[in-house]
Amino acid sequence: MREVAVVGGGATKAGRREASWKDLVQEAGKAMFEDVENLSPKDVDSIFVGAAQPERFTFLSYVAPMVAEHLGITPRKVVARTELACVSGQAAIRYAWSCVATGMSDIAVAIGVEKMYPPDMAEAQTSMACVLDREWDGVNCFPAPPFFAITAQRHMYEFGTTKEQMALVSVKSHHYSSMNPIAHLQKEVTVEAVLKSPVVAPPLNLFDCCPMSDGAAGIILVPAEDAKKYTDTPMYPIGSGQCAIGNVINNLASLTEWIPLKLAAREAFRTAKITKDDVDIAEVHDCFTIAEIMEYEGLELCEKGKGGKFIEDGEPYIGGKVAVNPSGGIMGCGHPLGATSIYHTIEILEQFRGDVHKGRYVSDAEIGIQHSLSGAANQHSIIVYSRGLR
Amino acid sequence: MLDFYPLQDEKSTRISQFFKNLKEGRLTTTKCKKCGKLLWPPRIICSECLSDELEWVDLGIVGELYGFTEVRLGAPLGFVDDVPFCVGLVKISGLLISARIDDAKYEDLKIGDKVGLKIVELEDGRVFYRFTPMK
Repeated sequence: MREVAVVGGGATKAGRREASWKDLVQEAGKAMFEDVENLSPKDVDSIFVGAAQPERFTFLSYVAPMVAEHLGITPRKVVARTELACVSGQAAIRYAWSCVATGMSDIAVAIGVEKMYPPDMAEAQTSMACVLDREWDGVNCFPAPPFFAITAQRHMYEFGTTKEQMALVSVKSHHYSSMNPIAHLQKEVTVEAVLKSPVVAPPLNLFDCCPMSDGAAGIILVPAEDAKKYTDTPMYPIGSGQCAIGNVINNLASLTEWIPLKLAAREAFRTAKITKDDVDIAEVHDCFTIAEIMEYEGLELCEKGKGGKFIEDGEPYIGGKVAVNPSGGIMGCGHPLGATSIYHTIEILEQFRGDVHKGRYVSDAEIGIQHSLSGAANQHSIIVYSRGLR
Repeated sequence: MLDFYPLQDEKSTRISQFFKNLKEGRLTTTKCKKCGKLLWPPRIICSECLSDELEWVDLGIVGELYGFTEVRLGAPLGFVDDVPFCVGLVKISGLLISARIDDAKYEDLKIGDKVGLKIVELEDGRVFYRFTPMK
């Protein structure tokens, strides 16, 4: 196995875009290649395309060769689409990384794309309701919001978490995304505005929920020893953890404690040879405000049940214990499923480069983690990135 | 046909017994005869020990509300006309199953409420389970 580097990346502005699935992937691909010197699409030997539901959202299938074609890539080593719902993008990165590490590939692209605004919004929600087992949970109307609403209700019931604490997560995410030019939502919100926003599924209001977004993002991975040929500022994936327990709601390990996250985090820290105290930036999956609160707990940044207090005390802000989602998170940046993890990976790269708005810059960051979850929070994935080769 | 409900007849699934039982007012699932694991949803092999010797057991018709919400915005196709409506997680015979909670408003429900089985029939003859608050 050899060390691997991320040498560059590019993304589209996320949001409700007047652009097709193929437009998005071309925009992101162009931005990605323009970010890397001395490397053209012809040099790429492998491509992984993170795409959750192109069949449903845009009626496209078999998308990996299609993306390669549009970007002028002729894969000669490995070509595949990766699907893991909201984690499809991180899955693409993990396989690109693995292939470069093993020598199966020398230059790999991981690119994710999703087009989530079809003409009819109910159609998009229908797609989302097929993520949880459609025949046993989806059928009872469990796209993401009702599931996370009940999760929040139980967390409030068991640990005394409040709606105000949840709202604070949204306030933080929107604060940082207001300084992120590619974010879907670039306006600050107040606790009062969150609490007064329309109710989606109690106790979740609209601003407790991330938006669905159109967007695409891609990165290029090469062997670490070649990295300096392409950039002065590579970053290195140094550890990984992934864990799935159960699938239908009945078979989850717990509704209010994300055991798979805890296990994935411990494994990621172990393989990266770091501890949680070494993490400077945590880009986590704040699809709903309650999710980020439970992620503080699952990452063991605070005790179980104390996630609400953690945000209340300002700990996840820059300057607090760990900078959580200085990008603006999914809540602010948007959630184009197949691309989401890759957006947040590029965020860590840009933070390491010092290439972000100063209001959300984490100075001297050495370690960043990128976490994504999928389904009924039964699957969690984490990759640890380092600014230097350790 | 593509909709949210599972296909239920013998030609489409090997767990058609579940739906036959449901038509008779019985909520059932499979239990492993070898290791005793109660499996939800029903299966044709035991995910614990891989045995295919499973038996159908009754889960009863009364459960307890573990958590619930009301769908007010963002309903998928097929649900839009019903908005607002309640959904919940019901504890029944040691399982935690998701279900529509009919004949209830969010404000009237609380965690721990007793809920009873309700069978709904679709236009094409398929059936499914829901729950409704017990007075």
